[in-house]
Amino acid sequence: MGVYAITGGSSGIGAKTVELLKEAGHEVINIDLKDGDICVNLASPEGRQQAVEELHRMHPEGLDGMICNAGVSGACGNLKLIISLNYFGTVALARGVYDLLEKKHGNCVVTASNTISQGAGRMDVADLLNNIGDEQRILNLVDSWDGSNLSVGNSIYVATKYALARWVRRHSASFAANGVRINAVAPGNVNTAMTATMSTNAKMALNALPIPTKYGQETLMDPEEIASVIVFLASPASCGVNGNIMFVDGGTDALLNTEKVY
Amino acid sequence: MRPIERYVEAMENKDFTALGELFTKNGHLCDYCPNGTAQHEYHLYGKEAIAMFFRNKFSFRQYSILEAAIANDTQAEFIASFGGFHVMAIATVQKVSEDGLIERMTVRPK
Repeated sequence: MGVYAITGGSSGIGAKTVELLKEAGHEVINIDLKDGDICVNLASPEGRQQAVEELHRMHPEGLDGMICNAGVSGACGNLKLIISLNYFGTVALARGVYDLLEKKHGNCVVTASNTISQGAGRMDVADLLNNIGDEQRILNLVDSWDGSNLSVGNSIYVATKYALARWVRRHSASFAANGVRINAVAPGNVNTAMTATMSTNAKMALNALPIPTKYGQETLMDPEEIASVIVFLASPASCGVNGNIMFVDGGTDALLNTEKVY
Repeated sequence: MRPIERYVEAMENKDFTALGELFTKNGHLCDYCPNGTAQHEYHLYGKEAIAMFFRNKFSFRQYSILEAAIANDTQAEFIASFGGFHVMAIATVQKVSEDGLIERMTVRPK
């Protein structure tokens, strides 16, 4: 059985992924702010470093998979947190355990979002994330922006997720050439603690992103629908899949972007 | 009311449910106007998909029609607004079922 590390495994999609992996007999190390096997704040460079060091200490022989799932929504009201946790918290962990993944020809799965195809992201911010990657300067840039404005928060959220998906694509060939696959899931709106506590306006926006498999139900996706695909991508069964951004949204992306086949 | 008139009414009212109900189960709506914007053209099949799609577009103010005028029994002209980018458009009901529902409609730049 394998050894998998996951960020954000204490709730929502992450918790269900932990459950499925454990049911399959794998060892799972949950890295989260609360209730984790490693409790750190991945929004901070120190927390990320601590998590990477701890994983090296626990499993110097290597990891079979690194699942980077931790993140906050655009409705959290804190633009710096969105940027630091969603983007830098993911990239730092994937890079930090790359040597452990190489040792076991493991893989990495990143949680993006299906919103990346809907044109609402700040592409200038996405470009800064991917092409400059200077966390402090980017945080300084957004410091004066209004995080309490839902559309501003969403535009930054989408930018971080778009940048993550692009980061996966950019690095997938090199990773694979060294025996490490990397893919992303792009979930639709899921019933989690994050979505349960959203404002009325935010919920209205969610319902305006119809989920064809839930047609007429006014409901969101179940975390297990996403977790099962993460587990698949993290398993040897998906050995031919690399650099893929897999939309797991019940068909929302296909509905809104019928002409985008690639 | 003729189907083209009901189509314009639903669009002007941003009534995505009524819009979907104008089409047959497999009704096809193709809109080529987005090609002139930063978007791809729309190809929507089935009344449910049409309703879901326009629920999204109307909610996020990404689609509306302005200055609509019925041209004849099957056509209407209007300015289509794609989130503020305007295209002069002509919508044509190409085919209608026996029970008066739209089987195929095209919207093209004029």
